[in-house]
Amino acid sequence: MTLKVIQQRSIWWAISGAVILAGLIAMLISWQQFGAPLRPSLDFVGGTRLQLERDCSQPNACAEPIDPAKVRQVLDSQNLANSSIQIVGQDGQAVSLRTSFLSPDQRAQLQDALSQELGAFDPQKTQIDTVGPTVGRQLFTSGLLALMLSFVGIMVYVGFRFQPDFAVFAIVALFHDVLVTAGVFAILGLVLGIEVDSLFIVALLTIVGFSVNDTVVIYDRIRETKQIDGDRSINEIVDDAVNQTLARSINTTLTALLPLTAIFFLGGDTLKYFALALIIGFTAGAYSSIFIASTMLAWWRVRSERSVSATPLEGN
Amino acid sequence: MGRQRSILAFIVVLAIAAIVVLVKVPIRLGLDLQGGSQITLQVKTTEAVPQITPEKLDGVKRVVENRINGLGVSEAVVQTVGENQLLVQLPGVSDPAQAERVLGGTAQLDFRQQRPGTEAQLSIEYQVLRGLLQEQAALSQGNDQEAIQKNREAIDRSNQAIAGLFDKTGFTGDSLRNAYPQPLSQAGNSWEVVLEFNDKGAEQFAQLTKNVAGTGRSLGIFLDEQLLSAPVVDARYAETGITGGTASISGNFDTQSANDLAVQLRGGALPVPVEVVENRTVGATLGQDSIQRSIYAGVAGLLLVLVFMVVYYRLPGLIADIALLLYALFTLAIFDLLGVTLTLPGIAGFILSIGMAVDANVLIFERTREELKAGKTLYRSVESGFYRAFSSILDSNVTSLIACAALFWLGAGLVRGFALTLALGVGVSMFTALTCSRTLLLLALTLPSLRKPNWYCPNLSASPSLQAEKTS
Repeated sequence: MTLKVIQQRSIWWAISGAVILAGLIAMLISWQQFGAPLRPSLDFVGGTRLQLERDCSQPNACAEPIDPAKVRQVLDSQNLANSSIQIVGQDGQAVSLRTSFLSPDQRAQLQDALSQELGAFDPQKTQIDTVGPTVGRQLFTSGLLALMLSFVGIMVYVGFRFQPDFAVFAIVALFHDVLVTAGVFAILGLVLGIEVDSLFIVALLTIVGFSVNDTVVIYDRIRETKQIDGDRSINEIVDDAVNQTLARSINTTLTALLPLTAIFFLGGDTLKYFALALIIGFTAGAYSSIFIASTMLAWWRVRSERSVSATPLEGN
Repeated sequence: MGRQRSILAFIVVLAIAAIVVLVKVPIRLGLDLQGGSQITLQVKTTEAVPQITPEKLDGVKRVVENRINGLGVSEAVVQTVGENQLLVQLPGVSDPAQAERVLGGTAQLDFRQQRPGTEAQLSIEYQVLRGLLQEQAALSQGNDQEAIQKNREAIDRSNQAIAGLFDKTGFTGDSLRNAYPQPLSQAGNSWEVVLEFNDKGAEQFAQLTKNVAGTGRSLGIFLDEQLLSAPVVDARYAETGITGGTASISGNFDTQSANDLAVQLRGGALPVPVEVVENRTVGATLGQDSIQRSIYAGVAGLLLVLVFMVVYYRLPGLIADIALLLYALFTLAIFDLLGVTLTLPGIAGFILSIGMAVDANVLIFERTREELKAGKTLYRSVESGFYRAFSSILDSNVTSLIACAALFWLGAGLVRGFALTLALGVGVSMFTALTCSRTLLLLALTLPSLRKPNWYCPNLSASPSLQAEKTS
């Protein structure tokens, strides 16, 4: 099987363009709804999440599942009407609340009121996440800064190891991967209410680090072939390089996706969407290395060579 | 072959050492796995302290440490983060409310002397304050936030008015030697906090009580600019003052608030106010669940990769699998030795790195297959597979490390654990995927029974042995 990536490049570019466009539209809609391109978790906007589970060692404490209406009543009485309630855990014995940022006193008051209504909670099964609004912003900016920094670092390294235009298209491919992942999560945020937390930024950075690998391996092969056989056209060289490294690109992505799939299904709630972000990003990364970075490089080289030969005065 | 054998012996020794390390030293688990509370405190500037210097932050840190020791949390860690934050880790604490209360208050204790001629005014103001406080208690049962807020402002004004009736004496909580709660009466839930002064404090206290004794004026005990109690000193102390260096404050304390205050006073006053801006608490049972889940996910992920490698790459795949198991072993042992605290994202990073660690092997084996198809002998194909894949492997690992470095320098606690585990994984995988698998593969080639090109690359078109003769 050989792929004619150069010949069919308009198809590959169109597919990417369509996915990214859909993502961008979802981000615009999200912006109108939550004032952010993706549905932000309390990590970024601040707030309090409380997960409480009943202490079932008391007789009859867990006879019936927690009634969300009762929880809603307590929240209303605490002036926290604008909160979300989710009944979770086995047999509906746990409740997860997301409220605005609560001070320690306010939180203690809420917990007391809840346990009066619902029975005692098991502190060993309690989870509290409270993030002040300023800390949230801090997390967000430092995450974005880390992303920018890694882009610059990779660009400098690739530019140094290969050539400047190689670096530019490697970065284009990385932007592609980040945009696809963010776009898919924008859609998931709108459709399923999935939020992005600080782990999402970690995922984006990991995607950047991993996906550039495929690109670099293809570049490496392009460079190698050029040294051996420099007279061939860049289009042929790129086509060959992509095909020669195709099995490798697919297999390394596969071996990374296998444990991620295991985390997605078995790893628990915290890691589930982290794994999903990585799965999407790695897939997009393999795609962009094979179909975007290399074809764009070839397109650019052909174009610039043509413009060089079109200006004969500049020649010898 | 002698060199291969000594490398093999080295690898075996390393593997045994790694197993010993893992058995002897348990891996340190983060609070999200073992259960506990992580609290971030923001140090705030005041008019008196407009800038938080590193010394100020250190001072705050010491006080916070003292208070945590007072709470009796073992193995607590306090770290400064950035210029104005403290990170407090409390292992095993699943109800952080007390810690947050105790850490939050400044606990500036201040003894003041009432101004002459304000006796009548003080008793009126004190009445007003009492009334407001009672009203506040009543209001807090209900939900009228606006009324509560209004009343709170009134209390603040009243507190200020009272503070205006006292003169500062320069006698503060710094002179405390000890503070502890004590029940006021046998029956009720009414407590006082007993203060023990050091020599200087005892002297100051004697002086202060001498000044006000028998005058009908009171001495004011202020905590954070609020009057806690205003006892009047009996005339019989007019000569000497109250000596002995102990005093007690009573002011509506129950067991808990008396204990909290005692802890705060013992720990010393905070030079600047702090605020709890982040709190991440995970109950121990939930942490256990997370560990269980990540073990399942890790084992499943590892098995999937192992099976894939054998099915796709045959004999070299099997050798890559051995290298991969070595990788997992070495990486965990290094975490252990470096004292890396394993968090949930850290485990995810490790599991992911299992999938990424075979990347180098995939590159090498794909290259080996190409060389085989090009008609080289088995031995040469393997050799040049390793040789020619090296530059790709190096490039791809360096770019991964760049992303890890960005994560590490700019990320917060959670993110850092992930970056560190991933970066260590990349480093170790360079060793296992290159040195270990190369050694094992070359050793395998010395065994004639394993020298079958079909075990390296299925469906080789022409008979490779013939081609081998041609090229060599």
